[in-house]
Amino acid sequence: MNDPTAPPAIRAQGIHHSFRGKEALADCGFELPTGRIAALVGPNGAGKSTLFHLMTGLLRPTRGEMRVFGAAPGTRTARERTAFVSQDKPLHQDFTVAETLDLFRRLNRHWDAAKAERIVRDGDIPPKARIGSLSGGKRTRVALALAFGKQADLLLLDEPLADLDPLVRHEMTGLLMAEAADRGITVVISSHVLPELENVCDHVLLLQSGRIRLAGDTQDLREAYTRVTGRADPDTPDGLPAAADRSAVVHAATTGRQLTAVIRNAPGSALPAGADARWITAKPSLEELLLAHLRSTPGAPAPHTVQTGAAA
Amino acid sequence: MNGTLRLAWRQQRLPALAGLLLVTACAVWVAVRHAELADIVGGHDLTACKGWNGACPVDVEVAVFDHTPGIRALGTLAVLLPAAIGMFWGAPLIGREVERGTVKLALTQGAGARSWFAARFGLAALCATVLSAAVAALLAWWWEPVANMKDGVYWFDPYILSGTGPAAVAGALFALAAGTAIGLLVRRTLPAMGLSAVAVLATTAFLTLFRRDWVTPVDRITPGMTPKRLIGSGWSAGYRYLTPDGVQHPLENCTFSGEELRACMAEHGYTGRVHKVYPSSDFWTFQAIDTAVYLGLAAALVALTAVLLHRRRGLV
Repeated sequence: MNDPTAPPAIRAQGIHHSFRGKEALADCGFELPTGRIAALVGPNGAGKSTLFHLMTGLLRPTRGEMRVFGAAPGTRTARERTAFVSQDKPLHQDFTVAETLDLFRRLNRHWDAAKAERIVRDGDIPPKARIGSLSGGKRTRVALALAFGKQADLLLLDEPLADLDPLVRHEMTGLLMAEAADRGITVVISSHVLPELENVCDHVLLLQSGRIRLAGDTQDLREAYTRVTGRADPDTPDGLPAAADRSAVVHAATTGRQLTAVIRNAPGSALPAGADARWITAKPSLEELLLAHLRSTPGAPAPHTVQTGAAA
Repeated sequence: MNGTLRLAWRQQRLPALAGLLLVTACAVWVAVRHAELADIVGGHDLTACKGWNGACPVDVEVAVFDHTPGIRALGTLAVLLPAAIGMFWGAPLIGREVERGTVKLALTQGAGARSWFAARFGLAALCATVLSAAVAALLAWWWEPVANMKDGVYWFDPYILSGTGPAAVAGALFALAAGTAIGLLVRRTLPAMGLSAVAVLATTAFLTLFRRDWVTPVDRITPGMTPKRLIGSGWSAGYRYLTPDGVQHPLENCTFSGEELRACMAEHGYTGRVHKVYPSSDFWTFQAIDTAVYLGLAAALVALTAVLLHRRRGLV
């Protein structure tokens, strides 16, 4: 895990993916270091599920290269180190819970049967129950038990918590954090509910219209931007002072005479270029940062990738 | 048992059980009826009985009359069995997994796609082979004592030509492969089932209609007005007239009998008649054609399925 020459958990380079001529992902490139808990965020239809399917080898990219721990997704090495819970949490409806656990134990070499059974038992799910008779939340729990039982080094969870009640959601998040801490695994977890992930994740991948808009360590990213509030400048159409570097502005909005903007900091500085005393500046929260990017016209500021360690 | 095979068995044990019940029921039925038939025909020499013009003892004729509906019913089952296998076994084999998304779960485990496909298709192919071979053998066994008898079932009837022998087993394997490929391509079980049944029945119908065109019948030539040789167990492919230069002419030129026919033949200069016949030994030629076509198509469809799976086409 601490070997600096070890390949990153995920490396995507120039990924394009088209479905029947329609482009789902375009020029996606990012690296996810091992041991990170990454949030994959983006509006519905941004390509999050497609990206997951490329990481698991259920799809092959039209162009570009995807690597999981240096191996092509879908190869035995990659499959054994990756666990995936897809958005629809598919399970064989007519199997019992015990049968399901037993079958997946046989399909994997490094199975932790005790852990999988404990997760199921903690949800008060009788082993003899048919999967089809379980509620959505309980089915999700069984799907997560299969993913945890696999003892993978990379956990890919596509909207895993959507149909869980807040209590179970909290419990599952705790389970995830414990697993990550115990075994130092890498996690990619997608959601369109930003606050759900803010406290859990230390890495973020923002996907919009099939492109990576933002990728990197959450702290580094937040420190690379400044949230600006203040009185809108009446002499400029966007309310920003004339001296401000427009190419660094992610998103600016004026409400009456009030200006709110998220601006990328000048290189080597903790503030944007042209900042002056009239501006009230603060470090944006992750949610503010992501929302500012989602609200801006796609492609306006160049996609921003912060390499972990490089910014420190 | 390894994981993928265990999973395959868990998902196919229901159709396997249904197949076993079907074979058991057929076996009991055929055993009872075959014993009845053997009692009647056992004491007779049936050599003279064979063929359309055969002369049979009355009790044998009655037995043929009695057993033909049963043999035809089992024959119908045997002919439709491949379509049923394609529908109920082939189409859901991958199609249902894709439709329900469970393919995403299965193919992201330690055991890979190749093992997953090999286990489920291999098991299904084994079951289809056993099932179709058992039905074909039961049908052949029942039919054999009264084969090719007047008003009975002949070797060239689809019941026997498509329902027995290696062609029946090859047809079942083709149907399974077709259903599997269609399921993966269509991605929805119900339409895939319908399409599979249509594809299998259409292929069988195509072979039934056209396989005769690929085999040359035997010409039975009779000079002048000499009565034609009796057809026996052969399969008639029509009549022609012959001129001394060896050229054959269509039957429609002289559709008379007796004195009128003689006059018509003399007028056209016909010196003989030709009866085109497939002898009963051609059963194996036709079986070989069907078996080759079915197995060739099955191999191509399995290869197509494997390539699509390997390229991860249409799984999510």
